Amino acid sequence: MEFRIARRRTLLALAAIGAGALAAPVIAQDGPITIGVQVPTTGPEATYGNDMLNAVKVAVEEINGDGGLLGRQVELAVGDSACDPQASVNAASKLASQEVDGVVGGYCSGATLPTLKVYGDANIPFVITASNSTKLIPANPGNAFMINSTGADQSTKVVDFLSGKGVETLAIVDQGDAYSQDLANLTAERWKEAGHEVVATETVNKGEQDYSALTTKIRSLNPDAVLWTAYYADGGLLIRQLRQSGYQGVIAVGDGSNSPKLFEIAGQAAEGVFGFSNPTAEFLPAAASFIESYKAANDNAPGPYAPLTYDGMKLLAWAIDKAGTTDHAAVIEALASADQAEWLSGPISFTDENTLARSNFIVLEGKDGAWTRAAE
Amino acid sequence: MLPFKTAARRAEAQDNDPAPARPLAGITQLQQWFGRPATFRGAMAGIVLLLILGPFVFSQYITVIMTNALLYVVLCLGLNVVVGKAGLLDLGYAAFFAVGAYTTGILTLQFGWNFWASIPVALVAAAISGVIIGGPTLRLRSDYLAIVTLGFGEIVRFSARNLEITGAASGLSGIQQPRLFGWTIDSAVDFYYVFVVLAIGAVIASIRLSDSRIGRAWLYVRHDEDAAEAMGINRVAVKLAAYVTGAIYGAIGGIFFAVNLGAISPESFSFEQSVLILMAVILGGMGKIPGVILGAFIIVLGPELLRDLGELRLLVFAIGLLLIMLFRPSGIWPGRTQ
Amino acid sequence: MTTFDILAQQLVNGLVLGSFYALVALGYTMIFGVIKLLNFAHGDVYMIGGFVGFAVLSLVGGLVGTGWGGIALSMFVSMIAVGFLGVVIERIAYHPMLAAPRLSILITALAVSLVLQNSVLALTGGEFTAFRTNLGFGGIALGGVFITYNQMVLVGMAAILMLALETFVTRTQYGRAMRAVSIDKDMCRLMGIDVTKIIAVTFLIGSALAAAAGTMAGAYYGSIWYFMGFLIGLKAFTAAVIGGIGSIPGAMAGGLILGLLEAFGTQIPFIGSEWKDVFSFSILILVLVFKPTGLFGKSEVERM
Repeated sequence: MEFRIARRRTLLALAAIGAGALAAPVIAQDGPITIGVQVPTTGPEATYGNDMLNAVKVAVEEINGDGGLLGRQVELAVGDSACDPQASVNAASKLASQEVDGVVGGYCSGATLPTLKVYGDANIPFVITASNSTKLIPANPGNAFMINSTGADQSTKVVDFLSGKGVETLAIVDQGDAYSQDLANLTAERWKEAGHEVVATETVNKGEQDYSALTTKIRSLNPDAVLWTAYYADGGLLIRQLRQSGYQGVIAVGDGSNSPKLFEIAGQAAEGVFGFSNPTAEFLPAAASFIESYKAANDNAPGPYAPLTYDGMKLLAWAIDKAGTTDHAAVIEALASADQAEWLSGPISFTDENTLARSNFIVLEGKDGAWTRAAE
Repeated sequence: MLPFKTAARRAEAQDNDPAPARPLAGITQLQQWFGRPATFRGAMAGIVLLLILGPFVFSQYITVIMTNALLYVVLCLGLNVVVGKAGLLDLGYAAFFAVGAYTTGILTLQFGWNFWASIPVALVAAAISGVIIGGPTLRLRSDYLAIVTLGFGEIVRFSARNLEITGAASGLSGIQQPRLFGWTIDSAVDFYYVFVVLAIGAVIASIRLSDSRIGRAWLYVRHDEDAAEAMGINRVAVKLAAYVTGAIYGAIGGIFFAVNLGAISPESFSFEQSVLILMAVILGGMGKIPGVILGAFIIVLGPELLRDLGELRLLVFAIGLLLIMLFRPSGIWPGRTQ
Repeated sequence: MTTFDILAQQLVNGLVLGSFYALVALGYTMIFGVIKLLNFAHGDVYMIGGFVGFAVLSLVGGLVGTGWGGIALSMFVSMIAVGFLGVVIERIAYHPMLAAPRLSILITALAVSLVLQNSVLALTGGEFTAFRTNLGFGGIALGGVFITYNQMVLVGMAAILMLALETFVTRTQYGRAMRAVSIDKDMCRLMGIDVTKIIAVTFLIGSALAAAAGTMAGAYYGSIWYFMGFLIGLKAFTAAVIGGIGSIPGAMAGGLILGLLEAFGTQIPFIGSEWKDVFSFSILILVLVFKPTGLFGKSEVERM
């Protein structure tokens, strides 16, 4: 099997040399279109990876239900990145060797970064739906598209909103991973620029459970607001313990905590908590049906990156459809020209750096155990 | 395990082992594994040929995971010096791996050094960290050693995560691929060959070390520390040498790991990483070089072969590990001395 | 809050956290005592304890409520079930390995840990499960220090369990046999002690204590997931070593010390909480450098 593939690759390579160009898939295929999904399905980040995978499955089911793509069915190939740089390179190489027609996913910026080269060398279109470190931008060979806004946009929104609420002193808590640390640092910088005070920047370990020492410290510093920049699972615990410790101020959470599951974990304590988010899920009419399909298929509510990842899959399908072929260069060109508005996360179009052109963060508020749109 | 070796010869070998005076050229040990020299030469030539021709046959994916397996061969042989040879349980080996990777990353990125110039500095840094970690642990025995090395491993990882110079949690990215005589080492196949060379080098070095004075001293200390000391072996120096040697192997792996991926972040140097390397060493057969190599391949290739199982792959892999250990408690290819 | 209040509050925090560490550390230390194994699967046994407790509470919660009564009942059931799971693990995975080199059994323990973790990952899809109870946030305020009733119950339960264990180990036939086995297994055999049975009893008790901690942690913090045993396993291992591995009072003390270290470590001026673990591990290394056998450990010559 490997022998056969290798021989074909050699022939292709020879053909490419002859033509002086990269070989495009020459033979028209009638088999399924294969899309790679690069997410962590094992290890401590599997919670979020499985959530993203489930969202892709919902999208693919819809696509196949509507007659497929270019008249062909869509199949998925899952590459478990395990949130580890080496494991993700292995996964990406496998997907590249399987000659997938495109890849969606990308969670954990550190693990996504080294895969850019792998997909870049094979010129495979890659829609990155969660990783949003600014370090990805210079490493992008041009085939990758980031549909999650970077921390810069979000921190601006956070500073605007909290300043408007009359907050003067702020404590920021992250989880020591690239995403939450990035958002924490950017917000701290901007908060100081805006003339306010950051009383503490703290880091907790993922899965620590007990944050009482930290909540005591925060209560003693008594900031006007506490900002949590990481994910809902540990965020839920932190919110609970902050309120238990008697902290009365404003609590705000970043977009990684934008999940209904936050309320399951934090319970009553999450009432009145502010969240920042793309206008996802329940706040757009189109999203209602997504949430329904997701819940029907998975028996639980979608997590923070599910809508974006669903969008990523749909966007890739849209691009393949627009290109009318699975030819990589044509699909990448189609992606670059995206300017549609009908996505769950709002309109998607790209800058010259293949990052999201617009950012329209909205503010949510926890009310009666669910997120509602907050008055801004 | 070795059907063509007579019981008498085996007994003789055991009697001699670990007599420090036994004259052994490095190659003799290899010959013993394969019985007759002709078979040995054939097998060696076959393996080397296979490694060289590999990329012409492999898909890119296979090339990448073979590269990864060869990296693990280097790391496992390094840890084998510490655990297998000197008998010091180390649960923080990833720290040395990190020191190598970060030194090269920082020097080339932040200070604009040439990659090759960073190598000696990384090796010195690793040797120093070997002394720092080895130093306080010399008075400790096995289990306390385990937790201290674990602690050091975590301290290194937390520092990498918190410091500005190491790029904090995002790590370092954009590490330049090295150039050698006008040729840039950058494709997956290039790095495959780099790691073939490193792995072969590591194997040869390990064989030479086993048969050297210091190799026998390690064995002696491992068997009976007090007796070794009574025989005039400097226990402290010998143990420190084991740490430093292991650290240098780890750093070499780390240096080339950094340039291969072009980006490093703290996730690569976690406790799990240390555990994985230790698992490979013990699984294959601690102390014995072919066993350790086999262990490295199993640890890397096992989860890859099971990739299609999705989230079940680690479960199946772990059950496999468990069964292997139950049926071969001393490892798959154990050394003669336990 | 005054400085005194802050420190007193951190003392409370440290005691609560330390109680969890101590309960898990006890299992580590007991198992190490009898078979000289660093049971890396112990943190995952704690995790399973949390899930079993949750399952039981879901079943009986409607009848007995989800207050401390219901939680105590599910904790009890979880202790029994997980205690036997511990015995089964020992039978299947460790018993055949007792004659093997000591490091081999370590790998077996790591494999068991992976099996437990990934089984629960497969069953839950990696989801965080909300552990719903109707425990309130109520408590009493002593000056600026606030202690919740939950914290009091929790520390109380942990104290009762540890006291029961101490009584068992010092006052009963089995307990004495257990201590004897940890000193010299071969001699015990000669004396007619059923060593295999004692090892099984040790696993039963060690795992039951971890299960108790797992259920209490789930109820107290409000969520459980497949990876929750990893970090506490690491911390409890550290605690057991600080106290002197193999020593039961050492594990209790080690757990509390580590809990307090972490609580006060957060409070160190000019150093953010991101350095808290570096602080704890540095203290650990210092302790071992100056007292290589831990605080309560006996010095003995051993080799691998």
